[in-house]
Amino acid sequence: MEKIDTGDTAWLLMSAALVMLMTPALGFFYGGLVRRKNVLATIMHSFFILCLISVQWVLWGYSLAFGPDHGGLIGGFDWLALRGVGQAPNPDYAPTVPALGFMVFQMMFAVITPALITGSFAERKRFKAFVVFTLLWATFVYDPVAHWVWGTGGWLRTLGALDFAGGTVVHITSGVSALVAALVLGRRRGYGRDSLEPHDATMTVLGASLLWFGWFGFNAGSAITSGGLAANAFVVTNTAAAMGALTWMTVSWLHRGAPSVLGAAAGAVAGLVAITPASGYVDVSASILIGLGAGAFCYAGIQLTRRLHVDDALDVFGVHGIGGVWGALATGVFATVAVNAAATDGAAYGNFAQLGIQAIAVLAAVTYSAVMTFAILKLIDIFVGLRVPEHEEVLGLDASQHREAAYQI
Amino acid sequence: MELLAFLSFAALVVAWIVAPNTTQAPLSETAVEAHAEAA
Repeated sequence: MEKIDTGDTAWLLMSAALVMLMTPALGFFYGGLVRRKNVLATIMHSFFILCLISVQWVLWGYSLAFGPDHGGLIGGFDWLALRGVGQAPNPDYAPTVPALGFMVFQMMFAVITPALITGSFAERKRFKAFVVFTLLWATFVYDPVAHWVWGTGGWLRTLGALDFAGGTVVHITSGVSALVAALVLGRRRGYGRDSLEPHDATMTVLGASLLWFGWFGFNAGSAITSGGLAANAFVVTNTAAAMGALTWMTVSWLHRGAPSVLGAAAGAVAGLVAITPASGYVDVSASILIGLGAGAFCYAGIQLTRRLHVDDALDVFGVHGIGGVWGALATGVFATVAVNAAATDGAAYGNFAQLGIQAIAVLAAVTYSAVMTFAILKLIDIFVGLRVPEHEEVLGLDASQHREAAYQI
Repeated sequence: MELLAFLSFAALVVAWIVAPNTTQAPLSETAVEAHAEAA
């Protein structure tokens, strides 16, 4: 039996807690960006998903994602209700920590990924439809893609795709699914006519700051060990976030005449998204370039979606979709064995094949997420109905879906 | 790659220096209306 390392275990469990915090942090990030009448419903999306996927994951999600492989596509039902997942390490995934520790760390990734999507359909989706969508999406999109990229025997892992902490699994899947959801649900009532401005920018900046903090667990925790690789991931994560914020703020300053506070917050998140797949494979110079690209490309992407009148309410595709694609491809450019001996050099070190492998992983994640999300939404629309009626949208989701008010002032 | 990293950061610093002085930049129509409504 592998020997448990107390340092590795302590760091992994702490990282799981850090990543858990990211989901309510996301609730605040999104909550500040919506109108006052929808803030509680928006926060509830994130909080509810934390509860829902915490149970789904232990019952069947972890088994599907990380269980013994079937055809390179899915994990199967060997580990239903965590049967066979105990205190002893699983040498395939985390040889020095209890299998339960690895499971709960991965749980927090499974939680936040569907929560990211909620920003695209903010202010107009029925709560019941959101619940069913989340359960189906987690089971039929997240769990399989996680298996492809991270599961033993997963076909993208076997192909050699590099994704240290979830550029494809988390950000591309959620970002692309968000775009599909925005298109299927349609624009908010009053889009292009009424003011849909954020009701509390301070809440959004607080949320972004807590996301940044939690992301140290997301990326550095993905080293699964407590040591040099975790330290590298920690440093490049912070650097890319900072560069993303500085770049977005600068671009908005030059484009619109003032440095945007919300832009700085969004830019930090974009930088964090982009560095996610690369964090265990690149050095700090690369992370500066990755953050720069994230700030610029994601800002441009959002301008494009607005010009096309796509009501991705909280810019999920622009930040997570585009940021995830940039990060996954940048991993294929900047990865180096000097940082991680288990990696493969990227294009910047003469190995252009890795960039091609990353492109295949991106294409697979984009295509599968888009098709499955469309199918799930259409199915739900038939049996439940996706959007709230117009009068409920006007009243606000806090009142219409929850019969509660966020503020009594 | 280190050179590119330095140049990237330097480009941002230059941009901040040449960017519009926000106290003199004209407010957008939206911002003016928002301030008027809040008053």
